[in-house]
Amino acid sequence: MTSQQVKIGSLELKNPILTASGCFGYGLEFGEFFDVAELGGICTKGLSLEPRVGNPADRICETPAGMLNAIGLANVGVEVFCRDKLPLLRERGITVIANIFATSLDDFIALAERLESEEGIHAIELNVSCPNVSHGGIEFGRDVKLAAQVTASVRRVTRRPLWVKMSPEAGDLVGVARACEDEGADAITAINTIRGMAIDIDKMRPKLANRTGGLSGPAIRPIAVRMVWDLASALKIPVVGIGGITTARDAIEFLLAGATAVQIGTASFRDPSAARRIVDGVREYCEQRSLSVEELVGRARQ
Amino acid sequence: MHAGHQQPTSHRHVDAPLLRRESIGDSYHVLTFDLPSGKLARPGQFTMVRSDDWGHAPLLPRPMSYLSGGTTPSMLVKVCGEGTLRLGRAEPGDVFSLVGPLGNGWRAHDPTKRQVLVAGGVGIAPLLFLARDLITSGANPVLIYGGRSARDLPLSEDVAELCELEVTTDDGSRGHHGRVTELLSRWLRPGFEVFTCGPDRMMAKVAAMALAANVPCEVSLETPMACGFGVCLGCAVPIQAGGYLYACVDGPCMDASRIAWDRAEPLVQLAGKG
Repeated sequence: MTSQQVKIGSLELKNPILTASGCFGYGLEFGEFFDVAELGGICTKGLSLEPRVGNPADRICETPAGMLNAIGLANVGVEVFCRDKLPLLRERGITVIANIFATSLDDFIALAERLESEEGIHAIELNVSCPNVSHGGIEFGRDVKLAAQVTASVRRVTRRPLWVKMSPEAGDLVGVARACEDEGADAITAINTIRGMAIDIDKMRPKLANRTGGLSGPAIRPIAVRMVWDLASALKIPVVGIGGITTARDAIEFLLAGATAVQIGTASFRDPSAARRIVDGVREYCEQRSLSVEELVGRARQ
Repeated sequence: MHAGHQQPTSHRHVDAPLLRRESIGDSYHVLTFDLPSGKLARPGQFTMVRSDDWGHAPLLPRPMSYLSGGTTPSMLVKVCGEGTLRLGRAEPGDVFSLVGPLGNGWRAHDPTKRQVLVAGGVGIAPLLFLARDLITSGANPVLIYGGRSARDLPLSEDVAELCELEVTTDDGSRGHHGRVTELLSRWLRPGFEVFTCGPDRMMAKVAAMALAANVPCEVSLETPMACGFGVCLGCAVPIQAGGYLYACVDGPCMDASRIAWDRAEPLVQLAGKG
């Protein structure tokens, strides 16, 4: 048996496979498909202080080897999450990374403070990269100073491991990530979706009510792999890779590029058990080569 | 190591071989699957259908209303995009991943009332399933079925054998020359209830007429969706109470009076969409 365990700062994961925020609900919806506790962990749907209803329809459309979404961070709000979802996640022994989203520094701080008193949250992931809301999403993640500021502010109020999820649209991706690292981030998640657009040529207007949406799926994978490679070269803290991972082979590609763990996003829509299958596939790959997952991390760089 | 080609992981996610494909013209196909171990569907529920052979495109499974349930469930596919084109070419023995049954089916009928089913095109699938169920339980439904032309009324012979049928076509090539809503008025009386599935514009009109006549109306919504079980949040349906419900978990069948039709313009028909 090869070790599948990885460490992200102080957080130990039983394997490197996590599910991505926005693609796995609150972790409870998949219980009938497989035992979610067998994953390295789950990232929750982005949580805000107050519930959000999200954007008008249409919110999604399929594109070549991908999809566009403009959900608008619809979520139940942090209180309902803590009251209704978290106890069940705890009961099931699931490692939980709480993804949080706010439109102001104060709200980011309030969210982190609110979660600090809750048991069963193993890390906080800052969403500073949502492309589908008018305020407070991607602006934080595109700007070195703002990204540093939000990281520093949340760092002061949480003892939990702090991850920051990067936008591929940050002009200076490595600069933004380094600024977060300098302010105490424990890991960088890369990448969020890339803004795209599709037009219905019969109706002669954009397919999404929001006009633009975030592109995800296999279509963005090579971009994500390159960005993970660049970040892993520049940072001392671990990189969590995400972008179009559908199979174990894809996950291994990210590990070899330098990611310490990976997140499975859109693939869970196509196959609800995708993440579980990827756990098995990565283990099989390691066993065939007598390598631990940690020995895979960054191996393509050597 | 590839996703797929493995044992099913739950009774709501199974790999099922196609038993047969019956084509109705070029555009419509009835697919029947062999599903001895799956959970049984109720009328109005749907399933997400995909084949590993599709590779990365089309990426997402296709939501399909059940045309019939049991251990050999069937779906009616209208070819209108890449996914449905592939489904329309499927051969017996081809294996598909089915996630389902999903969603809430039609609400229980009121045995003191007569049921008026209003179908537009491929929206016939969940209504034919319902009609069979109603007749089994002793009800006597009437079905109003509209299509663009005579070619767009798949399975109308099956309906005719089953219950009272009224047909409309936009081009007058069969039945009443006009819309289903033109035949609906005379059924909107006390003692009747409406069940409808079809293009959104049609359902909005049917719903408005039924509500105005104080006749209960249940609709089956069809929206784009990626997952089918409440995770992607793509299938938002605006509601009167404010905010949204989700067609996959709160529907697809729901009371028409809950929906904010004025904000629902982008809703499109899904049975066989894409």
